[in-house]
Amino acid sequence: MTLPLELPLAFTLEAFTNVGFWSGVLVTAGIYAVVTLGLQLNVGYTGIVNFGQAGFMAVGGYTMAILVLEAGLSFWLAMPLAVLVTMAFGVLIGLPSLRLRTDYFAIVTLAMAEVVRLAAQNAQGLTGGNKGLYCNFEGVNQTCFDEAWQSVNDSILGWVEGFWPDVDPLLPLLLVVWATVVIGIVALNYIQRTPWGRVLRAVREDEDAARALGKNTLLYKLQSLAISAVLGALAGFYLALFLTTIQPDDYEPIVTFFAFGVLILGGLASYTGVAIGAVLLWTLLEGMRFVELPISEERTAALRFALVGLVLILLMAFRPQGIFGKREEMVLGR
Amino acid sequence: MEAGARAEPAPGGVDLRESAREHPVAVAFGVIGLIVLALIVAKGVHDVAQASLNGLTLGTIYALGAVGLTLVYGILRLVNFAHGDFLTFGAYMAYLVNVTWGMPLAAAIAFGMGATAALGLLSERVMWRPMRAKGAGFLQLMLMSIGLAFIIRSVIQWFWGTEIRTLDVDVTESVSFLGLRIGQTELMVVIVGIAILAAVAAVVRFTLLGKRMRALSDNLALAETAGIDTRRVILYTWLFAGALAGLAGALAGALTNLRPELGFELLLPIFAAVILGGIGNPFGALTAGLVLGVVIELSTLVVEPRWKVTFGFLALIIALVIRPQGIFGKAKAL
Amino acid sequence: MAAEALLEVEGVVKRFGGIHAVDGASFTVDAGSVTALIGPNGAGKTTLFNVVTGFDPADAGSVRFDGEEVAHLGAHRIARRGMVRTFQLTRALAAMPVIDNMMLAAPDQPGERLLNVLLRPGAVRAREREITEEAMELLEVFGLREKADDYAGTLSGGQRKLLELARALMARPRMLLLDEPMAGINPTLGRRLLDHIQRLRKEEGVTFLFVEHDMEVVMNHSDRVIVMAEGRVIAAGEPHEVRADQAVVDAYLGTPA
Repeated sequence: MTLPLELPLAFTLEAFTNVGFWSGVLVTAGIYAVVTLGLQLNVGYTGIVNFGQAGFMAVGGYTMAILVLEAGLSFWLAMPLAVLVTMAFGVLIGLPSLRLRTDYFAIVTLAMAEVVRLAAQNAQGLTGGNKGLYCNFEGVNQTCFDEAWQSVNDSILGWVEGFWPDVDPLLPLLLVVWATVVIGIVALNYIQRTPWGRVLRAVREDEDAARALGKNTLLYKLQSLAISAVLGALAGFYLALFLTTIQPDDYEPIVTFFAFGVLILGGLASYTGVAIGAVLLWTLLEGMRFVELPISEERTAALRFALVGLVLILLMAFRPQGIFGKREEMVLGR
Repeated sequence: MEAGARAEPAPGGVDLRESAREHPVAVAFGVIGLIVLALIVAKGVHDVAQASLNGLTLGTIYALGAVGLTLVYGILRLVNFAHGDFLTFGAYMAYLVNVTWGMPLAAAIAFGMGATAALGLLSERVMWRPMRAKGAGFLQLMLMSIGLAFIIRSVIQWFWGTEIRTLDVDVTESVSFLGLRIGQTELMVVIVGIAILAAVAAVVRFTLLGKRMRALSDNLALAETAGIDTRRVILYTWLFAGALAGLAGALAGALTNLRPELGFELLLPIFAAVILGGIGNPFGALTAGLVLGVVIELSTLVVEPRWKVTFGFLALIIALVIRPQGIFGKAKAL
Repeated sequence: MAAEALLEVEGVVKRFGGIHAVDGASFTVDAGSVTALIGPNGAGKTTLFNVVTGFDPADAGSVRFDGEEVAHLGAHRIARRGMVRTFQLTRALAAMPVIDNMMLAAPDQPGERLLNVLLRPGAVRAREREITEEAMELLEVFGLREKADDYAGTLSGGQRKLLELARALMARPRMLLLDEPMAGINPTLGRRLLDHIQRLRKEEGVTFLFVEHDMEVVMNHSDRVIVMAEGRVIAAGEPHEVRADQAVVDAYLGTPA
């Protein structure tokens, strides 16, 4: 006897064995992990609520592409330069704004990120406006900004194909991104355990107490922001290489908000948590695409929003320290 | 660079900076007046007047959004990132009545206001009150408001998709007076908006409720011990905030069009008006909103129109850095 | 033989909006002395503290510490010069262990600079060991040694006061400004605190200036008393002199200790 049951939704488990799915998820998660490591340093360890990470990503990505396409620099030179530029930008933003109250600082950094994005959108001559940057098809420097990377990418793939014929083309990027994540986690954990990290935690908890003990708190906050800017720039590069374009739409505030989602999912004051939170969140978000609901693309997108929204609300309500955070270290906003 | 620690040992002499600090409103209007004068000289009275009129329309929307937001921010210490999506919600509710059910615009706007007020009250009951009881910190609440914003956005996108819709209004007819043109819809927005703003201002200034709201905004704990029924005042606050947001959204939708990002795009300038007006100061938010709208439109006389929003954000950043407590805020310590 | 003035405050003015919280205050504190700053509520004592220690910029006046003008310096620079303050509501860094609280305060830590962390890890480690030892010794003196690894937030109110004092001492201060050290602690603990203060004054030559409301402490445990009212210093001298001063009596509305 067969049951005349028609399941309203069909769940394709097949998706989860698809290598292409995982490589996409892991690269995206990795990029978010890089940018959120910086956020963790800022929010979880320094107590500064930085809503401008998307702006740092944009500055990094655009500077790199502009240096390659307009100034004709080598990709390998443009990257470190772009990192320096982003870091300088972070310090520039931080100098006047870090002495503001926490909530004002949050809004200023959000505004700053939007200024960057809008400038990228409107300075069409320099940034290609809404179309963004990819290749220069005329003029002196006829190149694409990721040409150098593509050749490295292809060589690595060529070598791997020797023993793994079905290798996913994203593998080299995935390795680079996650190498950055791992190095980032190790490095950040190391400096947190130093006297420098101790001052940072004091700044987070009670800035006046730290000042009364002779610590130049503004300097520490600037350093925290500068490091976060560097991580943002790296994430910006990886995003650009992943999407093979640099467009203003990819640096909207929603990126920063999703990063906060990753941050609190993994837990405040845990760098490893950031990596795990990123993978969890993006597996969830991307996995939803394979739930064959009889709904449109738009509605699936709406569900993704709802999911992140729910994550934020439920975590903050019931487990604000996230998965790996420690309750005692939840000092913000007490 | 020590943050602001400078003693000016000038006993007896009139310190210009000191007087500037004591009369921020005069200084602000003085500066704006000078700028307007310069513009008139450069571009002529007609252009300046026309831009100002356009700016008044924009400013009315900002003011409506800002007054509600500042009340919530001031009384509940909540940086309500969902406020932008309240605007969007109001717009779509108006769409429901006006287009889907074919009723007149006035009814639609009223419905939008009511529905958004209900939404605000719901959020207070379901989210904010229990979180306050738990002693949630400001970062927790802020992140929850982002989550709420996502959820509202996802609901709107679920039911109405991402396609651009318009309300049933006449966007071509215009009126002229004194040699200036203003669209019929724009005129309606200004008249309705200013009327409602004036009514709210009257309530805050002259009624007992308004007095209580101001007391709570100053010091919530103190107001509680003074025997004020804070719960009721808070409910009224959400009522106002929601209704004003719904109105702002519906009017904005009438002026331009309806899309899920409508409210969020307006959120940053609204935050700017809130901060410039001094957090918790509805009169300040009102004035700052109007002025901001006019200033942004005036900027189109000097820079290309597509830069005007960027210009607005820059103005916010600069203003915050110079005077974090806003033009109308009290000179409290940072 | 006159003692040397370590802190000289002259004509300090601090306005908030239209209110003159401090309206031309002047006094001196001699090196090695224990001085009490008293006055009715709203006299401007805490504001004056904030200005002197650099937490609030003065609108006018001068503050000289050990001969150097410091009125324009920020809080952390003044602390580095040896003028360390505590706060009315103790600011024990609750989410950090007690030992971290202590080690934070030590001066001259190469490990606090990121560059040193990366390039001179040996020097960083060496200094850390030194500081740990020093911190443990100091905790022992204050009876907090067993609590070293606990989060400071788990300490009782009295223990936090002791921690704050011990922590301030780690910073090797020349002068300690204590904002209401006796507030909210039991008499036994208060005794211990005062004993520590006297010992530190005698053995290490630390100068003390504290704001206090407890008249018993003020009269019996300070060398000098400074009285503030309405933003000004209205009397300064030895405890018994000040107690008899009519202006002081008036300021307190006729209720001396």
